[in-house]
Amino acid sequence: MQNLPQTIIQESLVDQEIIDAYAQKAKLIVGEENISNNPADLIANSRDYWPVNNIWMIAGSVPALPQLVVWPETTEEVVELLKLANSFKIPVTPYGEGSGTLGGAIPIRGGLSFDLKRMNRILQIDDDNLITHVECGLNGALYETSLNQAGFTGGHFPQSLRCSSVGGWLACRAAGQFSTRYGKIEDITVSLEAVLPDGTILNGRSVPRTATGPRLDQLMLGSEGVLGIITKATLRIWPLPEKRQMVSYTFDNLEVALQCIRQIMRSGARPAVVRLYDPQETGNHFPALGDQRSALILLIEGAEKLVAAETELIRELARATDAVDSGSEHVEHWLEKRFDISVASMLFQKGAVLDTIEVTTNWHNAYRVYLAMQKALNAVEGTMLASGHYSHVYPDGAALYMTTVGFPGEDKLIFYKKIWQAAMEACLAEGAAISHHHGIGLHRGLWMAEEHGAGLNILRRVKKAFDPEGIMNPGKLGLEENSIWQK
Amino acid sequence: MAEVNMEQLLNCALCPNMCRCDCPVLQALAQEKVAPAAKARFAAMHMHDHLSLSEEIIEALANCLGCRGCTVLCPFPELNLCDELLNSRLKEHQLITLPSWEPYLANLKKYGSPYGQKPPHVHKTGKGAEVIYFAGCTTLANRPQSLAAVENIFQQAKVSYQLMDEDCCGYPAETWGNPDLAYKLATENYRKFKESGAKTLVTGCPECWLTFSSRYPEWNLELPLEIIPAPTFFLKLLEEHLLQPKVTNLSTVSYHDPCIWARTAGIMEEPRSILNRIPNLTVIEPLASKDHTHCCGGGRMFQLSFPKTAESIAVTRLQEFPAQSAIVTSCPFCLEGLTTKERKVIDLAELLAEACS
Repeated sequence: MQNLPQTIIQESLVDQEIIDAYAQKAKLIVGEENISNNPADLIANSRDYWPVNNIWMIAGSVPALPQLVVWPETTEEVVELLKLANSFKIPVTPYGEGSGTLGGAIPIRGGLSFDLKRMNRILQIDDDNLITHVECGLNGALYETSLNQAGFTGGHFPQSLRCSSVGGWLACRAAGQFSTRYGKIEDITVSLEAVLPDGTILNGRSVPRTATGPRLDQLMLGSEGVLGIITKATLRIWPLPEKRQMVSYTFDNLEVALQCIRQIMRSGARPAVVRLYDPQETGNHFPALGDQRSALILLIEGAEKLVAAETELIRELARATDAVDSGSEHVEHWLEKRFDISVASMLFQKGAVLDTIEVTTNWHNAYRVYLAMQKALNAVEGTMLASGHYSHVYPDGAALYMTTVGFPGEDKLIFYKKIWQAAMEACLAEGAAISHHHGIGLHRGLWMAEEHGAGLNILRRVKKAFDPEGIMNPGKLGLEENSIWQK
Repeated sequence: MAEVNMEQLLNCALCPNMCRCDCPVLQALAQEKVAPAAKARFAAMHMHDHLSLSEEIIEALANCLGCRGCTVLCPFPELNLCDELLNSRLKEHQLITLPSWEPYLANLKKYGSPYGQKPPHVHKTGKGAEVIYFAGCTTLANRPQSLAAVENIFQQAKVSYQLMDEDCCGYPAETWGNPDLAYKLATENYRKFKESGAKTLVTGCPECWLTFSSRYPEWNLELPLEIIPAPTFFLKLLEEHLLQPKVTNLSTVSYHDPCIWARTAGIMEEPRSILNRIPNLTVIEPLASKDHTHCCGGGRMFQLSFPKTAESIAVTRLQEFPAQSAIVTSCPFCLEGLTTKERKVIDLAELLAEACS
């Protein structure tokens, strides 16, 4: 038995003397109690919710260990700690709530795990301007609960709401389940504050919009910790909705259902939730509806008169198709179960490999991308299920969320890599974008060159400008060609 | 020794932890190592012999209040992580403790109480009476007026009762990693209960109730008495019109649900029903109540094991009560944890005794 478990993708470590020297100085900044090389801290901050981490955990290993964990409480402390890390050239991996699904929080080169959970305050709820100023380590559910108590909603409900942080949402360009009405996190964000490795504080103006050159703070959205550390944000909020209406339909044909959603979006209606499930997922999530038809669930909320008008418009557009009205109970069922991902733990224990792969494309090939990805996933030996649903819809397209479950006869990791390779190839071949809202992390970085083309080199130059010493979250966003993690 | 349910433990270890915001320890410490799934992973790796129980890992695993806050929205109905964490620490049935806990274990060994010498007022009374009241060592050490109030209630209601020379119920010794001592204390109490001839055991301490109800049977010490939580017993006396509460000098109260009473024993309506029978008393619910209650920070002996964390959790919990309310509760740890210079916290038994005097 070990005090520290074996690591699998630890690319390198920093010399212990350098870590010790850093620790001595860092103690003066945050206090001895907020810096740790306790094995329990190192193990806990070694991973996120990337499924591969669970494969390794069962075998008694972790992906890679940090050498120190630090817990800053203020922007000023982040500034001093980052400047110090930069001067020692120690890698820094930001850590929020650890809900990332692609290995973005794994410290592959050791160094420092910057755990931001102590930065967890709502600094102001501004009723007049409908904005809030919030620190980025705050847990998502605690953020929403606090807003609710004051009569507002943040409008952002990722499935990870209860296990993710505000900073995590911003860092991976998250999207919530109610995003068709409230927008994705980039729509909700007015401005943000971030600290760059040299200690510079990048601060956006908290005004509705600016035309003062490119918004540098917006560059941090989706930066996944490779440019700096997001410390605070100004986010839009809404008064709690006066009325909520729920409707659902089933369709004989998934493609017809997609056309129906497209018409709804063209009409100007903006239901908060729009989710269309293929027959397999319809059967899995709504057993009463069977597994032969496609279920569409919609939730409309806001001012009562607007909700009434939008609901009527949606009903009219649905009636123009062969949709069968299925009432509100299936939407209520979804609302109740929407954070329940217990099936992942249970299937894993039965030997399954399960993952979700979300991509996005325009309406013209939204159905084709689904067919192509499903075919590619089913072609991998061992795949038992390759199903999908559309959510986060726009006037110009939708996100497609594929779920795949396999029982590999071979090594789980090899199977995992095969399903991703199949899914990403199919996605790219159809012209879809490789991620809608889970981000890139470590794993999806393998397809960043195909996704961005020449753009990836521009992104590398941006990274170099922000982080010349290359200390920030190394190995992520596919910026490095010779990563320890390969296809 | 209870077995670790590996399937349930792994369900938690493999989960991203939708319960994070419901863990008071994680919210107080803001450290990933005390997140429910992080602790479950330590426990699972330890159970699979992949991780040794160093002091650091013991401390992380012990950073659990036993409050079952993580079960409120847990999608696994059979998962009780608090118990699995404790059981995994004790899997080899040997002394696995931390140096800072040793003085408490020494007190338990010598005096039968983690607080040291028990106060002299504990005496046997009413030998042979049907009801035996077990105050618990925390009440005896910190809140003797609570025991006096219970005696007052029993006398008013003409309940034939007895007290006994209590030993600690045993669970603190388990919590501090000495299951053998826990068992020894439990066998002492078991003997005394049997000798008492009582038919009903009433206890005002939720931790004692939980230990008598669930741990003793696991140790093959099935008690030959009906075990009744004090709030349930008090309500019965009221329902039988054996007590007649009158107006007190309190006008507005909020009841803090002790986590074991609410989430494990299901005692939520009883204390409210008692309060509602006191004339001119308005009861306002705090932000998190009934089985959604938040722990006071005192579960699993945190006030001794991790006093700073306990205090920090109590401060957070206190903010969830309306400013105009006096706080009423029915657990010696909650009373100890929530009482501050600024805030009045009243024991349900003391309030009832005052109302019936």
